[in-house]
Amino acid sequence: MPAAIKKTIPHVVLLAYVAVILVPFLFVLLSSFKANNVEIATRPFGLPKIWAFENYKEAWVKAKISVYFWNSLYLSLSSAVAGVLLAAATAFALTRMKFESASRWIYQFVLIGMLIPGNVLFIAQYLLVRNLGILNTHWSLFLPYTAGALPISVLLIAAFMRSIPGELEEAAIVDGLSAPGLFVRILLPLTLPALVTVFIVNFLGNWNEYLLANFFLNKDSLRTLPTGMVGFRDAFQTNYALICTGIVFSVVPVLVLYALLQKNIIEGLTAGSVKG
Amino acid sequence: MKNALRNPYVYVAFILPTIALYFLFFIYPMIMSVYYGFTDWDGLNKPNFIGSDNFATAFRDPEFRSSMLNNVYILLFSCCVQVPLIVVFSLVISSVKRLQGFYKTTVFMPSILSTSVIGILWGYIYDPDVGLLNNLLKLFGAGPIYWLAESKWAMLSILITNAWQWMGFYIVLILAAILAIPKEIDEAARIDGASGAQRAWHLTVPLIKPVVNVVIMLSIAGALRVVDIVLVMTGGGPAGATEVMASYMVNKAIKYGEYGYGTALAIIIFVFALVLTAAYQILFARRQERLEY
Amino acid sequence: MKKKLTSVLAAAVALAALLAGCGGGGNEPAASGSSPASESPPASPSESPSPAKAENFTMSLRHIQIGEPQKFRKAILDDVVKKTEEEVPGLKFELDGVEDSVNRFTKLPAEMAAGNPPKIMSIFGGAGDTQKYAKAGRLLDLTPILEELGLKDKFLNVLDPFSVDGKVYGLPIGGNTEGIFYNTEIFGKYGLNPPTTWDDLIKAADTLKENGITPFAVGSKGAWVPNMTINTFIGRLAGPETITGFTTGASKWNSPDVVAAYTLYKEWVDKGYFTKGELGKEYGDMLNDFVAGKAGMMFDGSWRSSAFKNDAVGAAVAGKVAFVSLPPLPNGKGDQTSVNANYGEGYGFSSDMNENELKAVKAFIKNMYSDEMQLRGLLEDGVLPSMKLSEESIAQVSDPIVKQVLDVLNGAGVTFPHFDSVVQSKVYTETETQLQKLIAGKATPQQVADAIQKVQDEENAAAAK
Repeated sequence: MPAAIKKTIPHVVLLAYVAVILVPFLFVLLSSFKANNVEIATRPFGLPKIWAFENYKEAWVKAKISVYFWNSLYLSLSSAVAGVLLAAATAFALTRMKFESASRWIYQFVLIGMLIPGNVLFIAQYLLVRNLGILNTHWSLFLPYTAGALPISVLLIAAFMRSIPGELEEAAIVDGLSAPGLFVRILLPLTLPALVTVFIVNFLGNWNEYLLANFFLNKDSLRTLPTGMVGFRDAFQTNYALICTGIVFSVVPVLVLYALLQKNIIEGLTAGSVKG
Repeated sequence: MKNALRNPYVYVAFILPTIALYFLFFIYPMIMSVYYGFTDWDGLNKPNFIGSDNFATAFRDPEFRSSMLNNVYILLFSCCVQVPLIVVFSLVISSVKRLQGFYKTTVFMPSILSTSVIGILWGYIYDPDVGLLNNLLKLFGAGPIYWLAESKWAMLSILITNAWQWMGFYIVLILAAILAIPKEIDEAARIDGASGAQRAWHLTVPLIKPVVNVVIMLSIAGALRVVDIVLVMTGGGPAGATEVMASYMVNKAIKYGEYGYGTALAIIIFVFALVLTAAYQILFARRQERLEY
Repeated sequence: MKKKLTSVLAAAVALAALLAGCGGGGNEPAASGSSPASESPPASPSESPSPAKAENFTMSLRHIQIGEPQKFRKAILDDVVKKTEEEVPGLKFELDGVEDSVNRFTKLPAEMAAGNPPKIMSIFGGAGDTQKYAKAGRLLDLTPILEELGLKDKFLNVLDPFSVDGKVYGLPIGGNTEGIFYNTEIFGKYGLNPPTTWDDLIKAADTLKENGITPFAVGSKGAWVPNMTINTFIGRLAGPETITGFTTGASKWNSPDVVAAYTLYKEWVDKGYFTKGELGKEYGDMLNDFVAGKAGMMFDGSWRSSAFKNDAVGAAVAGKVAFVSLPPLPNGKGDQTSVNANYGEGYGFSSDMNENELKAVKAFIKNMYSDEMQLRGLLEDGVLPSMKLSEESIAQVSDPIVKQVLDVLNGAGVTFPHFDSVVQSKVYTETETQLQKLIAGKATPQQVADAIQKVQDEENAAAAK
């Protein structure tokens, strides 16, 4: 018996933690189906008396979640892909091509970027995109997102490429392959695991980014999910059921993605931070 | 050009886009920050050079000082409360066999969500009238607490939300290191008769020290980076009780148009981050080999 | 360099177009807002077979009429937009609704600094808003347009906060006064007199407090809300001329009379007259508490009257709400019938306009600032006209609260502005910061007043240079 208790204690502790994580979601989910604030306040964990599915329709239309969702998806994807490709090309040149001393300098130069906390550059970047005339366009996020991911991406991909033995490409070069050909046909496929990792780190970072998105874009039709949701909350300050519906809309897609790709996501994010 | 890998044109073509973007969005803004930091620029009129006035003002500015203090609170809370909890939870998760994957997946989950959505979610949980917490308190007959409206609770509320979001992330980091420890070491200790707790403390903890160091470093960096959650949940209020350096900087620049002063604050944050990281490295983290993940 | 910028811009536009295309149906409602009215005819004619002569162009229009309580004002705007689009060939407005204080204190300042404000925008009069931006050359001088449209003399004497050196840069949409809304049902239930004398007001507050009802609903997360009360306290305790005197140096924030206003507010906080946890409450929460009967009174702007119509958010208390001005204060200075009157909110126009856009602006002004819309604003939304309306028009008012608002103004010996349209923006910011400190118990009234006066002195000195 004591052995059994000993075995259960960790589970009790962990289930309590899991409850702390999940209960807020449950609360939000239940609230989103309730008709009004009174019902939320009086029966926080009761099932809704009448399931108010129309909240979902209303939020979808009023909050323009579809617009925000699309904006987020397309921006996060495009800048994550751009970042990965640029970083891979650079990492290839730095680790594979025969310009060792230049490469060493460039590598160190790029790594300096990791010392600078993101929000320190916020004002200057704001002024920069403004001077480029791209404030209030998706370029004003695409470029900083892509650029912001470069130092860590170069670091991770370069580390991975260094671990790939050189025999393959020597053979390829003897066969007459050029450097770009070598990069595209040999190195990129071999580096794929690292590329996926870097892509996930970048994608989620962009997907969740709030500060730049909030201040660099003003038009509602351009907003991304994080800023759009805050705007939605500000507009419907006290309609909690509707706000909860909005939260459900913005959280579910990420959770579905997480359920499908959890192993890659966890590995990607933790690797991204440790190397940094 | 016999050797394809010595083609300078290809080399430049592969490196230039990265360097150009990097220069434009990192190096150039950094240089401009330093320049603007010494001016009184208000965004509308011509900037005037005013020497180090902004920096002197910053250290006299009571609002900035209190926001700096709030960053220190976050830092202390992360390192002194969160990190021990993180280590304990990691050890507990590593000790169970059943449901280990479920625990890991669940605790990690909040860290993939957008901070702004988490801010909205928790703002609702803290709501004095309909929120989850006060509903729970009511069950025990305790009376409503104005979580985000009272200075004494507001910072704590933010800290809890921040911990809720990020603890799982660090737990998974440390868990990976624990699980990477060869089984034989643990077995040997078990045969020697060491209890679970003894093994954890004397064996596992020393072995995962490098990762714990990484977690502390990340916590320090994270504590200085906190801004989204404050902007979304309280906007720095009530009466500046939750203002952090970064949110104060953003407000000063964007809301009040004090770009010169704002960039001076940005530079202070940067120096602050560098000094803290360096200090921690020198004081605590002895030269350890780089963690291979 | 310039060429490069244009090409970046062009690429950006192309990208945006691509996005819109891919977004399909989802993207369309975003541009035209949630009201069906603005989606009707003008969207399609550009593709009609008849050779379109006019070049299509879109203009950004920033407004603050979002959420349920603003729906009457949004309807007026939508009609003006529709009419203007019909009159100006090729024009399509791109409406962008942003919450009031976010627009005023975050978005517009940033856009003004960046030099890319919306073409038409909701803007406030005063030194911190219109006048500041006009001086920086960001706003369109409307004087010639007003003359051309013959509107010059149609406005009441309300254009000063929107003018610099005699030139007009913005037009107030209407006016309001700030006073006390109270719930007549709750007052009846506890046998309370309407709060028209100071003693009745205090007695009402105390009685409500004893019965577990918040005397005054307030949401002080945005400090502009409690600042309304402070402003009227100052006008009454220190005299109506005090507020305009801050920028000239004729009055001081830390004079005993102004400090008394802050002291009174703090006293009410300590007595529990205001919503508990007010610093965490939004402006919307304040209306909610009042409508839910959790509070018996609230100090708010007369624009809130439209919320208590039968088809509005406050329908639950429709017919049970009355409006009075703050009763005479026993130790007040100056005319105790004086009330605050603001003609602060209006529209401004970017100085960066091409010929087509200028035409659109003219049409917009003609349609928005007409007798018809002014009267609709008064009747449907309870907004006081900013232009001269005939007696008969005003006599059409049937809403009881709007009538009470008009009575309050007619009965006032003098009016005084809100200091947010008088003092410099840094000073105004300081009043917000300091008032929240006062409410949080972090500063005394005297400290608050001293801190504000310090910034006022600096700003006055800077302005004198």
